[in-house]
Amino acid sequence: MTSTLPSGTSSPGAAAARAGYTIVDTDIHPSAPAADIRARLSGAHRERWELFGGRVPNPPEFYPRVRNAGFRLDSWPEAGGIPGSDLGTTQAQLLDEFGVDHGVLIPLQGHTFGAEEPRYSAALCGALNDWLAEEWLAPEPRLRSSIAIPTESPDLAADEIARRAGDPRFVQVLLPTGGETGFGSRRYWPIYRAAVEAGLPVAAHTGGIEQHRGAGWPSFYLEEHVWNGNMMAALVTNLLCEGVFEDFPSLQVICVEGGIVWAAPLMWALDEAWPRLRADVPHLRKPPSEYLREHLWFTTQPIEEPDDPRHLTTALEHVGMTDRIMFASDYPHWDFDSPRLAPRLFPSGAREQIMGANACRLYGLPARASEGTR
Amino acid sequence: MSLSSVSSEETTIGTGAVDTDVHCAPASLAELAPFLDQYWREYLVDGGQSLSPSQGGAYPPLAPTSATPAARAAGLLPATEVEQVRSAVLDAESLRLAVLNCTTSFHCNRNPYYEAALTRAVNDWLVEKWLSRDDRLRASMVVPTLDPAAAVAEIERLGSHPQIVQVLLPVRTDAPWGNTRHRPLLRAAAEHGLVVGLHAWGRIGQAPTPSGLTHTYLEDYLANSQILVQAQITSLITQGAFADLPELRVTLLECGFSWLPALLWRFDKDWKGVWREVPWLTGKPSEVARRHLRLTTAPAHLPQDPVQVRQALDLFDAGTMLMYASDHPHDHGTGGQRLLAALTDGERERVVAGNAGAWYSFGA
Repeated sequence: MTSTLPSGTSSPGAAAARAGYTIVDTDIHPSAPAADIRARLSGAHRERWELFGGRVPNPPEFYPRVRNAGFRLDSWPEAGGIPGSDLGTTQAQLLDEFGVDHGVLIPLQGHTFGAEEPRYSAALCGALNDWLAEEWLAPEPRLRSSIAIPTESPDLAADEIARRAGDPRFVQVLLPTGGETGFGSRRYWPIYRAAVEAGLPVAAHTGGIEQHRGAGWPSFYLEEHVWNGNMMAALVTNLLCEGVFEDFPSLQVICVEGGIVWAAPLMWALDEAWPRLRADVPHLRKPPSEYLREHLWFTTQPIEEPDDPRHLTTALEHVGMTDRIMFASDYPHWDFDSPRLAPRLFPSGAREQIMGANACRLYGLPARASEGTR
Repeated sequence: MSLSSVSSEETTIGTGAVDTDVHCAPASLAELAPFLDQYWREYLVDGGQSLSPSQGGAYPPLAPTSATPAARAAGLLPATEVEQVRSAVLDAESLRLAVLNCTTSFHCNRNPYYEAALTRAVNDWLVEKWLSRDDRLRASMVVPTLDPAAAVAEIERLGSHPQIVQVLLPVRTDAPWGNTRHRPLLRAAAEHGLVVGLHAWGRIGQAPTPSGLTHTYLEDYLANSQILVQAQITSLITQGAFADLPELRVTLLECGFSWLPALLWRFDKDWKGVWREVPWLTGKPSEVARRHLRLTTAPAHLPQDPVQVRQALDLFDAGTMLMYASDHPHDHGTGGQRLLAALTDGERERVVAGNAGAWYSFGA
């Protein structure tokens, strides 16, 4: 399902082919030009930005993408800049083309900005959030955004969450999957406390600080990309075992771009081990799978693709969380999923839920008004 | 599922089974002293070194997962003498063969020369104290993980022993096993007709997750199956180990199996997108896995519902891919019984004996 539209397809009549259900795209990547960040930094931070830039390496520096820098070939804006830097291109190629009702922005610059020196990190994330509000959310009412936070400085992250909490266009708090230590660690709990107080879910998107302990460093992007599912499983297990879901019973966590169906064997493993290891995790009071089913959500791209599509249906039944799976396109990345073609892969009975209804429920977004589209 | 609802034949392995994962360990470093030279004997004594009671945190002695009630009552944590394995496993289960795995060298300190000496000693101890005393026993040899040349030398020294069937490697490593630096080790194993066994746990202090050490044992314990072994086989396939060594066979031990379909579906999909990066990988990763990998049955992380158990097994052709393991003395729960109950008679025969017989060339 790595379908890519031919270059330049943005037909004005596309809306006529809209599906008969609400479409919410929960993973759209905007990218702020360096000059736009610079313009939103104050004196000392601006000088640092100019002289040193960032210190946190981007994952493609370790594992280069194979073609076209990892972007959809047609997604480079005609006016210049990198894919995701121009609202108009995103509107034309995604929102208009596919009749997307609501889109949720996930600014991946937050993954690196969030791990800089604390004050600098807070300034960078603040600048990024300002840019999103001014350049994307203000002109485009179909869009919502994640709050980029100084992840590794949780007290400052909580401040940024509180600052944006009154703006209903910010609908979730953004975490990477790779942090300085496990995201279940108590040092990150101010983030969860602030998110819960603001009534916002936390979205953990693949990426962040690249570390490969345990088995050691891979050599290829293929390995790193397959690994995204394992990273997400590690994050979820860490949140569970550290007791985050016990202390923040209303916290909702969205697993973005890490696959879905690994969650079933993970829950089987946790539930098999827990009765024997309860003394190790006395703070867990019920079978681990119950916590995961109450706290996790998933986005679809890149959903697992067995040769036999019925196997996916079976595996999704084993996960048993179809009411918590939300469509994502991952625009403008190379492995973009088309809102037109992707639904064919989802179990027919859950298609409308996954394409939009689940996300509307989570984010409090309105369903598409009945307009006689079909 | 209530186990009383299935007949006992369906949840037992019958007679003549092959057990692919039975643990043994020296009771103390003194047991290995006769197999070490003067320098290393003094190194151990002068340094006040002793075996870690928890095997480097892998098996806390009193943790319920570290031993079944029967093994604990018999003091087997794990077996330290051949008579114990004979009575508790070989005779008790009427086994045809059992493969011994000793992980004493896995949590070795960082001295690469000591690791080489320790692995040699463990291997010589296995041959003299175990293999020579019961012809139903086979064993994995251990090799240094920090020095590929020393590992190759050890395989050349001992790899042709008729009862040595496997080279045992930990899933926790400085660099994954597919990395080119390890290729001479894998080549030596393949050239000696030895299977490579990837087993849970490994280097002490090697954090199991990408974000570091874990506060809970539960997370550390499950990292073997849910994270580490998956990274290792992704590495072996991606980095071309099987393209390079078409005879190489890898067994995954004590690392579960129910995660395999989700991993391979992700892997196949990603390969279709970025195949240009790995031109030596000329077929789907799932096809390579099916040819070159087998998995052992303990731990069996499976759902409770027998219908779902059967579905989970059908997602990866469990009757072909699995080999029975008691993992004595460890206790991972009741999943193994749910697994046996879900297999057809034909599958059960293959899983408890036939698959291992073919994979390790045990003959009829």
